[in-house]
Amino acid sequence: MNHSPNHSLRTEFLGQSLPSPLVLPSGILGMSHGSLRYALEKGYGLVTTKSLSLSPREGHEGPVVARFAGGVLNSLGLCNPGIDEGLREVARFVEATGAPVLVSLFAVNRPDFVELARRACDGAGSFIELNLSCPNVMDEFGVPLAASRDLVADIVEGVKKVCRLPVVAKLSPNALDLPSIALAAQEAGADGVTLINTLGPGLLIDTTARKPVLHPRFGGISGPAILPLALKIVHECSGVLKVPVIGMGGVSTGDDAVQMLMAGASLVGVGTAVWLSGIGVVDEINLGIREYLEREGIPSVAGIPKLETGHER
Amino acid sequence: MNDRITVRIADTRPEGPKATTLYVDAGMEVLPGQFLMVADFAGGEKPFSVSEAEGGRLGITVREYGPFSRRLRSMEKGGLLSLRGPYGRPFTPRPGDCLLVGGGSGIAPLHLLARAILAAGGRVTVVSGARTRDEILLGDRFRRLPLDYHETAEDEGEGLTAVDLAARVMERKRPDFVYAAGPEGMLAALRPRLGDLDYQFSLERYMKCGVGICGSCTCDPTGIRICVEGPVLDRDRIEELEDFGRYKRDASGARVYFPGALPGA
Repeated sequence: MNHSPNHSLRTEFLGQSLPSPLVLPSGILGMSHGSLRYALEKGYGLVTTKSLSLSPREGHEGPVVARFAGGVLNSLGLCNPGIDEGLREVARFVEATGAPVLVSLFAVNRPDFVELARRACDGAGSFIELNLSCPNVMDEFGVPLAASRDLVADIVEGVKKVCRLPVVAKLSPNALDLPSIALAAQEAGADGVTLINTLGPGLLIDTTARKPVLHPRFGGISGPAILPLALKIVHECSGVLKVPVIGMGGVSTGDDAVQMLMAGASLVGVGTAVWLSGIGVVDEINLGIREYLEREGIPSVAGIPKLETGHER
Repeated sequence: MNDRITVRIADTRPEGPKATTLYVDAGMEVLPGQFLMVADFAGGEKPFSVSEAEGGRLGITVREYGPFSRRLRSMEKGGLLSLRGPYGRPFTPRPGDCLLVGGGSGIAPLHLLARAILAAGGRVTVVSGARTRDEILLGDRFRRLPLDYHETAEDEGEGLTAVDLAARVMERKRPDFVYAAGPEGMLAALRPRLGDLDYQFSLERYMKCGVGICGSCTCDPTGIRICVEGPVLDRDRIEELEDFGRYKRDASGARVYFPGALPGA
């Protein structure tokens, strides 16, 4: 890209210098060293793996994705090749690119999260993300951990004890009083928070077949419809947190991304837009942020002013 | 906005003991090599290429491999299908001397392609191979077209594979361009026989979303997505791949090595 270095997208995050604030969220691509590399080359500043579990998971039987006017419903079901195979892919990616990786982990209790983190810390990743909030496996595992302040704190604390890498907790929008849960994560030692996972789950119905469109029935809601909710949650949480926030949820344009940064995010996830607009959307959003910086005379992403906190409540 | 439709099966046609062509009036244009994600509302959704397209009526030739395709291919007229698509990058029909090589059900998209090449003024030679005679699909359709058609069953006569037969055909007359679709092992065996000939291959990989977000069908090391940048790949894209003919990925994303391929780096 041929732009003035005075208006750089380069962003510092937990000690790493990233070429863009855009993040490939967990669950999108991220299956293999090839797909991580593809995402990096398409303009993401930081890539996240699929959420890795102790054992491989095949995920749900299809159809697992469906569109609606406001975005997408998905229930992929946390498919991943397991922590050991997943970390081998991360190592291959890092060897080829030298780029940082956010390694996402999924478990349903503290001992498993601790074991996953122990193995991930011996790997080539740069940061750990704890997926405490997938809404698509409630049949299997019940309500996501992120609904409980105590569980979030307990797991983060356990992971931090064994982990030399920075730890980010990915939280759910489907909880009351998100700021208090985010604060609990921070107090337990989290180095950052990712907000928000998909909303719901929700339902779409095929009226001719009179059945759910998704075979798993329900799926997490993503895409443009959830942007305002994501912005509000990121705004509220970042206002009370000292640690950085990775903001995501419905970001589809450069202006959406600037809104997310202004709401208080340090980095911005872009996922569903890759379906709705194609992979070229990543560079379009990069360009949109850069044009904003130039137009407003702001030298860097970090210089984007945060929205003032209003009189909430 | 919505790229998914629900349609009733307009007609069916048996294709030997293990396959059926399902016809639907889908009201969409599908180019040769593009695919649809097909589901039957009973669990499961898989990519299928389109074998026929005539006046808005599409033919989807379903070969039985597992429980889902068995159920799909025994569906009857009036049955409901969910179709997403069309997705993926199509073949590029060329007006010259074209050789089309199909293995098993890989022949299905090549039927649509043969018709497109003929319509563009090209000359077509088709080689279709399968393990048994029963598994050679759409032979009657090819024989009705003005083209040079060859088929081989590996359990008969000399036991030639589609690749063996294609090599013989190429010795007699060198084509300008080669198109192939079928199991990756077949494509990998064909590639060294093509020398410096230009080609397009259609690859089959495990798919979940079909729209480029889940990552299941990505290739190494370039990360191209078979559902978006493929399924039809140019020679240059194929030659960049380290996994071509060596391994693919299963539903979990774990590597599955092809028979004879050794796990390496």
